[in-house]
Amino acid sequence: MKSCLIYIDHKEIQNSIDLLEVARQMFQDEPYETTGVEFGNQDVTPIEGFDYLIQVHHPKIKLYDQVAVTDVMVQIQEANAYDCILIPATYYGRILAPRLSMHLGVGLVADVTAIGHYNNDLEMIRPAFSGRIMAGIVSRSQSPIMMSIRQGVFHYEDQNNKVTKTMKYVPTQVKDGGISCLSVKKKEQIYDIRESDVLVSGGGGVVKSFHHLEKLATKLGGQVSASRKIVDQGLATRSIQVGQSGKTVSPKLYIAIGIYGSIQHVEGLKNVPHMISVNINRDAPICSLSDIVVEGDAVAFIDGLMKKIEENEGTVL
Amino acid sequence: MRLICIVKFVPDVDNFKYDYENNVLIRENVRLTLNPDDACAVAFALKVKTQCPKTHIEVVTMAPISVKPHMEDLLRLGIDRGTIISDRLYAGSDTYATSLVLGRYLSSQTYDVILSGTHAIDGDTSHIPAQLGDLLGLNQMSGIIKVDEVALSQTLAVFEVETEDMIATYEMRLPAILSLTRESSYKLPYIRRQDMDLDVTSRLKILSNESLGFEADEVGIKGSPTKVAKTYTKEFNQKERTVIGTDDEGITLVYDFLKEKGFI
Repeated sequence: MKSCLIYIDHKEIQNSIDLLEVARQMFQDEPYETTGVEFGNQDVTPIEGFDYLIQVHHPKIKLYDQVAVTDVMVQIQEANAYDCILIPATYYGRILAPRLSMHLGVGLVADVTAIGHYNNDLEMIRPAFSGRIMAGIVSRSQSPIMMSIRQGVFHYEDQNNKVTKTMKYVPTQVKDGGISCLSVKKKEQIYDIRESDVLVSGGGGVVKSFHHLEKLATKLGGQVSASRKIVDQGLATRSIQVGQSGKTVSPKLYIAIGIYGSIQHVEGLKNVPHMISVNINRDAPICSLSDIVVEGDAVAFIDGLMKKIEENEGTVL
Repeated sequence: MRLICIVKFVPDVDNFKYDYENNVLIRENVRLTLNPDDACAVAFALKVKTQCPKTHIEVVTMAPISVKPHMEDLLRLGIDRGTIISDRLYAGSDTYATSLVLGRYLSSQTYDVILSGTHAIDGDTSHIPAQLGDLLGLNQMSGIIKVDEVALSQTLAVFEVETEDMIATYEMRLPAILSLTRESSYKLPYIRRQDMDLDVTSRLKILSNESLGFEADEVGIKGSPTKVAKTYTKEFNQKERTVIGTDDEGITLVYDFLKEKGFI
């Protein structure tokens, strides 16, 4: 039976659990079992869906010390010989995965966004050229197959109500990578745009009126997001950026205001059923992807729509 | 201090155009440029050298020899040594094979810090700095936005990393690999007018596989565990779109659409 090891990043637990969907797509009808590995005590989010869960405990392990974490992962792999290792492409995951794959002497595909099968080979599909093209990568037959997986793309639906067998692993030795954390400053936690059903998104065309978007977003029960241009101008933080170097989102409604629609931006939109674009240029690429194209000024649109909504608010059907 | 910067010259992807109608990526007539993250790494090295002129900086790249003019321009900024590792045998190398090549060269050099970018705008894997870390037995961190130049010594580096939700300050024992990002504020200076035509050939070294001694099946396409089987141009589902204006009629249409779909 094939076996799959999934690394659970303590900062992105749900995103890590979603990697179970990657395993499901990889193995298809072949029987397989999954093992999650988490470092430390994560009582915060329940970890479900795995056949096994390894909890690594050691007082000396610092999660930011990738020398230490890699070494423990090597120990676990050498003890169990998993057929594949999946790691979420989080900040830490993107350092751990290449270290681990180099140590194990196997190839690694980064930032996978789709799984395919190419001539009986597993095909790992990922964006290249900053999201402008997709590349389908195959790995020489080697074990373990290793991938880092882009967040927010795969979603796991627990169908079996599996009972997970939990095991503790206490490494006898922990490597010291010579790193210590002097301070941590948490960034102002705004909202997570991935959780919003409605996003009112601003781009380079609304640099001067970006603040107008908020009232429309609030009215529609949604949030404001932004393209890279707005973030680069310092008008919004990268945490609300949609796109290749930002987040991948799947809102039910995406209103793109003053957004050109470069591939790197559109790369961040996945399965969005309804899209409205507002642009002074009806031929901007984003317009080809929209249900409705409003050709005109953004502020005129927002004010007009707000007025219409407020006028009709009193009406109770 | 001895600093080594590993860099990559990449196509200027911002100048790629995408034809949505035909689903084609137009890559022609795009020039090579120094990967933005890597430029920050070199800029930081130059800053250290400004404060401490005895600092020795070497810039290393694995590339086709055609990058020579780009390397010469870096040397004209005050870099002490440029090394191009180039051999037909290395063509088609994935990140694993590339790391083996760079790693073998670096293992024969002395250095206090290896500086690099975090990711490249073409491949965007961020593999090489971490893989080199494992090969050379060094720790490595990505996403560095600031390095404390005052605290930097031959044994220790203090730096800030920005992630999704925080800015963390770390202290790391050297030698190590520090990977900067273009979010940092380090910018390459311009070449001084009097140095524009400076002959820097004596500071540029070109190495072939003769110096590194790899077998053909250890590098290049044969030595790469991963291979691009296919590229896909992105397919976008074009929609039947309705085009309207911001007049009453247009606004009403949007309002009705939103109401119908349940957003109002």
